Amino acid sequence: MVERKKGLVIAAVVIVALALVPLFTGREYVFSILCMLFLYVTLSQSWNILGGYTGQINVGQAAFFGMGALVARLLWVAGAPFYLSILAGGLSSVILAIIIGLPALKLRGHYFAIGTLAVATIAQITVGNILPGISFLPAQQMATYSLIPRYYVFLIIMAAALAAIYITVNSRVGLGMEATRDDEEAAQMVGVNTFKYKMIAFVISSFFAGLAGGGFAYFNASYYWYLPFTLMWCFEPILIVFIGGVGSFLGPVIGSVCYVLLKELFALTLGEANLLIFGIVFILTILFFPKGIIGLPAKLRQLFYRRGNVVGR
Amino acid sequence: MLEITGIDVFHGDLQAVWDVSLSIEGKGITTLIGSNGSGKSTVLSTIAGLLKPVRGSISFDGMRIDTLPAHKIVDAGIAMVPEGRRLFREMTVMDNLEMGAITKRARKMKNETMAWIFDVFPILKERARQRADTLSGGEQQMLAIGRSLMSQPRLLLVDELSLGLAPVVVQRISQTLDEINKTKGIGIFLVEQNVVMALELAETGHIIENGRIVGTGKASELLASDQVRQAYLGMEGE
Repeated sequence: MVERKKGLVIAAVVIVALALVPLFTGREYVFSILCMLFLYVTLSQSWNILGGYTGQINVGQAAFFGMGALVARLLWVAGAPFYLSILAGGLSSVILAIIIGLPALKLRGHYFAIGTLAVATIAQITVGNILPGISFLPAQQMATYSLIPRYYVFLIIMAAALAAIYITVNSRVGLGMEATRDDEEAAQMVGVNTFKYKMIAFVISSFFAGLAGGGFAYFNASYYWYLPFTLMWCFEPILIVFIGGVGSFLGPVIGSVCYVLLKELFALTLGEANLLIFGIVFILTILFFPKGIIGLPAKLRQLFYRRGNVVGR
Repeated sequence: MLEITGIDVFHGDLQAVWDVSLSIEGKGITTLIGSNGSGKSTVLSTIAGLLKPVRGSISFDGMRIDTLPAHKIVDAGIAMVPEGRRLFREMTVMDNLEMGAITKRARKMKNETMAWIFDVFPILKERARQRADTLSGGEQQMLAIGRSLMSQPRLLLVDELSLGLAPVVVQRISQTLDEINKTKGIGIFLVEQNVVMALELAETGHIIENGRIVGTGKASELLASDQVRQAYLGMEGE
């Protein structure tokens, strides 16, 4: 309990400190890196509540990220207030999740993973065909473009996602999700409505993925309409969650920090080859550190303990 | 109490249970015995709603339950202790018990039920904050039973109580089940390969072979019958 309170205080201090960053620096580079960091924390934590805590592997996160971006951008560029546009984007992602979840989450096994990947692929192709061009901001919005409001939008979305997901996974609902992940059939046997918990996780997950997409639409001055639907947005959150620590609350945060920093470093030094490095890191993580960075201390302790035992004998 | 009428159950394309009818009366202990692969666990899973019968029906206190999803059956008052325990291994003992009381009806009584379970299995109270996978086999079986009791069942389905446990532990747990049955009036339906233990504990027994019921009777009479002595205890008939 004391540990938990300490953690919440630290989290609050970090968020407040981040909110004060614009007072101390005006460097655009810092803002855009932090914006990407907040985006990835949101996107990977939203993947984590469904994949890490509930055990439902969503291989098509891009569909929900992209849906949020598409709807928010369309409404905003058409003149709707931004906060309404981004909320509409998040809700559109939720509707998409409900449509997919109703059939796919009723089944056990790999149907959900295959289904979500199919939806993401279909979404990317469809959007690419219907809107083949580039979405430019209208001149009036371009004229007033500033990174500061973008920074705060991403920060607020991230703080909201972290708070909502923290509260959920530490409640009775979170226990239901973990039971569903650990042994779905046993969970049903003791009275857990596993479908309900999978659906709750999917709705929360898609809502915040959609908001992150809205942030993306607000952040970028111009991009191809299909860009937020590309499969990169499916794989990146999975990569981050596994590197950081799947099914743990801090995993996606730590994973995102590592990912964003290393991606900057590699992109500068290695160009496109950085993807290859992350692919290899991903495989090594799953093989040797299945609990990711967050599980490293326990893993090391275990190694030393074993060695100590051997010496003792 | 529980009425099974002519059920056929399949695993995929494979039929495991043929036209099984059983009734479990009142609040006693009933057992279904049979060898490995005879279909007894299939019958239990079907009662619990994890498998759906292709033909036939199951009703509980007059309400048809074979069409309900598993969690609704728990809510109706039937809880299952699964074969191999199937605990939530990474959760604490406490959280496992908490999971058992997830239905709305059980949640209201959660604290009283948990106090009672700690009374029945004091070791679980000692280990309340430990992870479930750190418990011994016997303690895990106690936790699995406790978790199922948390849902306030009127009928407890127990699948292979004795599996992988030392005889002395089996004896202690089966005594506890007997006490729970006598003091709380919770009906128990036990599926077992350990024929002697099951028939000594139960009042009524059913024998299943190749997915069909081949014998029903008072447990003490079954235990003495040639049918059981020859097939399950390896004794020659007189």
